[in-house]
Amino acid sequence: MTCDKIEDLLAAYADAELGPDEWAAVERHLDACPDCAALLASLRTADASLSRFPEVEPPADLRETLYAIPARRRFRFGLDVLLRPSLQPAFAAAAVVLTLFTFYVFSPAKTQINKAINRQLHLGYSQVEKLYAKAGSLTDSLGGVADNVLVSLKKVNPLGKTDE
Amino acid sequence: MLVDLYSKKIFNMSYQFAGSFQEAQDLTQDIFVKLHHALSKYDFGRNFTVWFLTLAKNHLIDEYRRTKWEKKQRDDFDEHIQSAAAADDPERGLVEEENRKMLWRGLNDLPNDMRMAIILKELQGKTYEEVAEILTLPVGTVKSRINRGRLQLAKILRNRKENAHDL
Repeated sequence: MTCDKIEDLLAAYADAELGPDEWAAVERHLDACPDCAALLASLRTADASLSRFPEVEPPADLRETLYAIPARRRFRFGLDVLLRPSLQPAFAAAAVVLTLFTFYVFSPAKTQINKAINRQLHLGYSQVEKLYAKAGSLTDSLGGVADNVLVSLKKVNPLGKTDE
Repeated sequence: MLVDLYSKKIFNMSYQFAGSFQEAQDLTQDIFVKLHHALSKYDFGRNFTVWFLTLAKNHLIDEYRRTKWEKKQRDDFDEHIQSAAAADDPERGLVEEENRKMLWRGLNDLPNDMRMAIILKELQGKTYEEVAEILTLPVGTVKSRINRGRLQLAKILRNRKENAHDL
């Protein structure tokens, strides 16, 4: 057997997991090959050191941090909040607004849209002005009626007689 | 309860895999956060320790792939391990300490899947069957991977001894 083949079997040999034929072949090779024998010795040393490798003590504050994880998670803002059914109308409205805005921004007829919007704004503004003027004249006529009523009331004698 | 039972084990597994004390703290916290998220999915028919170690292994491997620890140096064989070793084995010799130093550094030379298998079997004391379940691999593949890892670590020790003789 070559050294490469022995290397493949060496760990199983150290664990006594080889069949009798392979075991004997490895034994014969080890007797004749000091390199492979040295490698077996190193393997046993490594195994022994690994098995006695010490466990490190975690830092004292780590455990406190770990205890706090469930509470931290309870107050954490999660994506599931966004999936509430009550928010679906708001998302739908936002999608419509976003679609219209995108259509407006990227539309080739943007100038015409602006003109149409301006026209509608001016129409609305003039209608508001008219309404305001009408409201003003109505207030004036109501004021006149109120003055007339007051004058008439002053002329009325509580005993049914007029000043004349 | 889970923190009491598993924090030390998960911290050590993270430390042995990542090689950095500070990194191990962050990884342990991440793993416990993942545990809290995943607890509702735990199948009571499974061994909890194996299930939890599988979750930890997945996180460590994912982080390894994301951050490429192999580019970083491992912590030196520092006071954390030395003081733990002194408490466990007060009569240890200098040779034993040197061997541990070499193995600690040698872990970084192993590919991540081989390193994880060695850590679970040799340092965490799991059986081949448990390691196979954690790594979701056949037992034969796990044995072969661990044996190759042991051999690689043995070569590191042998080379160090040869270099020491040459000096």
